[in-house]
Amino acid sequence: MTDEQYAREYGHHLVEEVLKGKMTRRQLIVRASVFGLSATVVGQLLAACGSSGGGGTATTPSASASAPAVVTGGTLKAVIPPPLKTLDPVTIYDQGGIVLVYQVAEYLIDLSNTNALVPKLALTWKPNQKGDVWTFTLRQGVTFNDGSPFEAADVVASIERVINPKSGSGALAALAGILSPGHTKAVDTHTVEFDLDKPFADFPYLVSSSSYNTAILPRNYDNDFQKKPVGTGPWMIKKFVTNQSVTMVKNPSYWGKDAQGRQLPYLDSLEFVLVTDAPPANLQLQNHQVDVQPQTVFQGGASVLNDPNLRVDVYPSSGIREVAFNINKAPWQDKNLRQAVAYCLDRNAINKALYGGRSNLGYDTFWEPTVFPGSPTPAVRAQDYDKAKSLLSAAGHANGIDVTLTVANYLENPAYAQLIASQCKPAGINVKINEISYNAIYAGSNSTTPWLNAPMVIVEWGSRPTPGVYAQAMLLPTSAWSSSHWNNPDFVTAFNSYESTTDESTRSTLATKLSQIQQDDTPILVAFFISQLRTQWKNVYGIQGPGSFYFNAAQAYIAK
Amino acid sequence: MARFIGRRLLLMVPTLVLVSILVFALSEILPGDLGRFILGPYASQSAVTQLDHKLGFDKPIYVRYFEWAGHFVTGHWGTSYQYTNLSVFSIVEHALGNSLLLAGFALVIIVPTSIAVGVFAGLRRDSLLDRIITVSSLSMTVIPEFVSGVILIVIFAVELNWLPASATPPVGSPFVDRFYYLILPAIPLMLLELGYIARMARAGTVQVLNQPYIRTATLKGLPQRRVVFSHVLRNALVPTVTVIGSQVGWLIGGLVVIETVFVYPGIGNYTVHAALNHDQPLLEACVLVIAVIYMVSNLVADVVVALLNPRIRKSS
Repeated sequence: MTDEQYAREYGHHLVEEVLKGKMTRRQLIVRASVFGLSATVVGQLLAACGSSGGGGTATTPSASASAPAVVTGGTLKAVIPPPLKTLDPVTIYDQGGIVLVYQVAEYLIDLSNTNALVPKLALTWKPNQKGDVWTFTLRQGVTFNDGSPFEAADVVASIERVINPKSGSGALAALAGILSPGHTKAVDTHTVEFDLDKPFADFPYLVSSSSYNTAILPRNYDNDFQKKPVGTGPWMIKKFVTNQSVTMVKNPSYWGKDAQGRQLPYLDSLEFVLVTDAPPANLQLQNHQVDVQPQTVFQGGASVLNDPNLRVDVYPSSGIREVAFNINKAPWQDKNLRQAVAYCLDRNAINKALYGGRSNLGYDTFWEPTVFPGSPTPAVRAQDYDKAKSLLSAAGHANGIDVTLTVANYLENPAYAQLIASQCKPAGINVKINEISYNAIYAGSNSTTPWLNAPMVIVEWGSRPTPGVYAQAMLLPTSAWSSSHWNNPDFVTAFNSYESTTDESTRSTLATKLSQIQQDDTPILVAFFISQLRTQWKNVYGIQGPGSFYFNAAQAYIAK
Repeated sequence: MARFIGRRLLLMVPTLVLVSILVFALSEILPGDLGRFILGPYASQSAVTQLDHKLGFDKPIYVRYFEWAGHFVTGHWGTSYQYTNLSVFSIVEHALGNSLLLAGFALVIIVPTSIAVGVFAGLRRDSLLDRIITVSSLSMTVIPEFVSGVILIVIFAVELNWLPASATPPVGSPFVDRFYYLILPAIPLMLLELGYIARMARAGTVQVLNQPYIRTATLKGLPQRRVVFSHVLRNALVPTVTVIGSQVGWLIGGLVVIETVFVYPGIGNYTVHAALNHDQPLLEACVLVIAVIYMVSNLVADVVVALLNPRIRKSS
């Protein structure tokens, strides 16, 4: 047996052990790393492990070996929340809007089921030696659904549009300090060059589908997407009934083909049924009025997750419920107090209570290998009241302390706040919960809005593709969305070095340092990474994308 | 009668003005900011401020109110802030149409059923059947519609697969299919209203049956059917008609819970979302339309009562 065969066999063995419940995924990572398997292989093994528990028939999305033969034609019905407002890819931020735009428009790069980068409208992307100029070569022979050719000028216009301060796009904040207006240029009709403000190794993720405002639109786009939904994607909007349904038909000029050369998409049409609340959406799925629910919410989803007619795909997503300590406000300046709260948490119990144990545990750092394969393994933080009390005492609050936690009345956030309060109480940390509406927590200006200014606050974050993207968004003093207002010079220096190199070995060393600094300083709590669930009837196959709004139905089909 | 109707219609005007002012003022208190809602939590503050200015949100409230009112009364209801590609009028028209259909379908079932049940119970006062009807109809009234609605969906849609889980047929379905989809949502409404209206009908019937003229009619030898239909019903239904009139407004504009559970795009649902999302033009239009419906339905009920009872007609 060759070394390669042996490695493959060992990998299969590790996966089997996890699936049988004899090993945790964390243990798989440790053993695979000790054995010498690369980060890429480790990631593939983790993906093959799939679900971490629950009822129903939870499967790994990549297990396509058992799928029946492709059937072309037909209509797939999906239930999603309605777009909060008129569709505009430049300013969308809600799940319903993002899912719909994702069908019609495309991105330079997409994400695979395991959050790896996949060529889409861009075929290759390479940095210069310094890492501050990225050159993207574009796919040729692509047209928009109105017949106009897709070229570099469209990419330039699309990116310039979202980083223009007047556009109001959320992408502006994501790219702030990395890409400035006027620094994206077309080298030729199918080559684009991005001249960054600073080296940033994770830049491709910032123009991928994870940065949902960076959809590539025609150069003459005039904020009229809902009237003229023009894109290069596999679907075209045929009928849009506000708050009711959206019907899409396949784009006859779509460039995509499957591995066998068959034209995509397989289906004739998609119908999105728009339902605001999860319980009625769940009932429609169970009643088979719809075939698939791109994102099933854990809370209240037990009947769906345990329905024998349905198949649940579980994706180890990186979405979190950040608990931010505003270090500019009392009493959170002292890291001993922040750590004390961290050691009060029983993360297993929280995971079980909120997600039925399906999510991956976090230890207050973004560098978590179960979610971002290849990341260094952080130290485990188990509940330890002796340590918490000792830290509380070191912070000068031996007799206890009263703190306020602000939380939006949204999804499982109030339940999480209750769990934090009950778990902190034995240590003498009395958490008073200030529960306000979802609109209220985001109301006001940047200097008054609760989510960026409350002393302690829970903020929900959708999945981000890399730890670096997360850190850029919320852990730097220049971050636009920093609820903690953390300013650690060591972290900033290490982060700048981390993003200025694409050398894996150097990045690995720096990742370890960044993870340790973040965990030690504890500007935020990351107790778990929320797995995404996609639920469908058992005869539905081929939906791609790592859950949530990544609903790629180009290769979807309904088996007979 | 014409003067009575004219006076009531005239009174509607100041009522609607007051309602519009109250709604405008109350929506100012709601947390959140329109520009922030449209652009999302990640947009820059400067972009939000710019959009607020473009939409006129930074003007004083009274300026915005009078600008809106001036356009509204001249038929220019404006564009929705959320759905900028749609006029407020088209949204309200669509939503109201849906609500009227559901309310009409429910009323067609509720009114004759509950009146029949109530009169039947009143005619057999204190009998076992009367007790059963009274107790069961009262019990059904206290079950919240979101409880009965979900139970009905689980049983008839999910488990038995007899009926659809939502009240909205697929786009392009024939109009008649809509009634099939409205069966399930109509049932919780029926459960709620049947007890209420039936008890009013029963009480009215019992009261009228004790009147001397009913005894006279019976002693004259009139068949019981004639006594009931010609003498009892006409007088017994006066309070019942009033109650039905007051419920029509709720059935059209107040079914937010039913519309949510059964995913039905009615005017109640649009009103709630318009309030939550600071969509003032849509909110005002929805509230005013619902207010008009409430007032007109009460007026129609009063007219019907007056037609039923000449003494009321003459005194008014």
